[in-house]
Amino acid sequence: MSGDLDRLIHEPARLRILTILSGVDVGDFNFLLNTLGLTKGNLSSHMDKLDKAGYVTVSKTFNGRVPHTDFRITAEGREALAEYWSALDEIRQLQDSPPAEE
Amino acid sequence: MPAPAPKEPFAQNDPRALIRWARRYAKSRTISFLVQWVFIAIMVTVVASAGYFTNQAYSKNSSGVLFYGSVATMFVAIITLAWFSLSGRGGDVIWAITRRLYGREGHVEYSEGDPTGRMPLWIMAASGGLIIYHLVGALLVTFNYLYMKNMMPFSAAYMVPFLFAIIINQRLGFWAYLWPILYGIHAILLLAGLPIRFGGQWQLMNMVVPVLGYGFIAILTGHFYSRFALRQLKRLARDGLPPGADTDGDDEEGP
Repeated sequence: MSGDLDRLIHEPARLRILTILSGVDVGDFNFLLNTLGLTKGNLSSHMDKLDKAGYVTVSKTFNGRVPHTDFRITAEGREALAEYWSALDEIRQLQDSPPAEE
Repeated sequence: MPAPAPKEPFAQNDPRALIRWARRYAKSRTISFLVQWVFIAIMVTVVASAGYFTNQAYSKNSSGVLFYGSVATMFVAIITLAWFSLSGRGGDVIWAITRRLYGREGHVEYSEGDPTGRMPLWIMAASGGLIIYHLVGALLVTFNYLYMKNMMPFSAAYMVPFLFAIIINQRLGFWAYLWPILYGIHAILLLAGLPIRFGGQWQLMNMVVPVLGYGFIAILTGHFYSRFALRQLKRLARDGLPPGADTDGDDEEGP
């Protein structure tokens, strides 16, 4: 069933990250860290995968000597997320619908 | 541009509800407004005090030093206020302080409009107009063409539509509307003759308290709502995630 689902997005933390970013213009590393309660290494790993897939853009700047990383969802990421939810809703509908009488 | 808010009534724990709470949280983060409020409060206090002393010096024919000193102070404060409001440097200062105050909460933005957050030219012009309008009002009071008791309704005639226009243009949260609404109601009540004014030597407070007080109420309302929205956002975001999980989740995905 889950063969239709994008496996990269299907992972719960990445699904939440992408969903949150789809609702805002920009969110930084600390915002996602504080919201999701992940470890820094774990969040970095997820963001790296989303970046490599082209689902988010990463912009790194410095505030004085402190590094700052902003994330934005890309059009590709938005489309992949929409497709994911659409596929998931279809699966849920199939599960919820009563079996056809023979 | 961000996606439109999902309209379907999602189940309470559906991750899609994250979109709604992330936006509500982003739109009600008001610490940057609080920083601006503090600066404006200081400047308004300086301008109001200088106006009061100018009036005292003019009406009592006292020393020219007090009169010219107060007028000069008023101009310097207004120019500083204009610089802070309109220059990029003022924005940088607000940004740096806001970032420090939010600390671990990090940074998130949702504008719904121009994602660059640039102020349209007409808003900058109207902001300049606001300062000039109040300067004219202060001068009218100084030279007794306008009663001090009418200064607040005089101010509301510009402030209320000005604030509404900015709030609508910048698509600020519901909390922002409290400011012009309360300010307008206060002006109407004053004109209706309700005894809600300071008298005697405290007449200046009739301007200062509504301008700053209602702004502060609106900003605090936004801030408290942002705490609630953040709690909802965290609850939804962490639901089903192992706390402080130290795997990247790939093991759970299977081959």
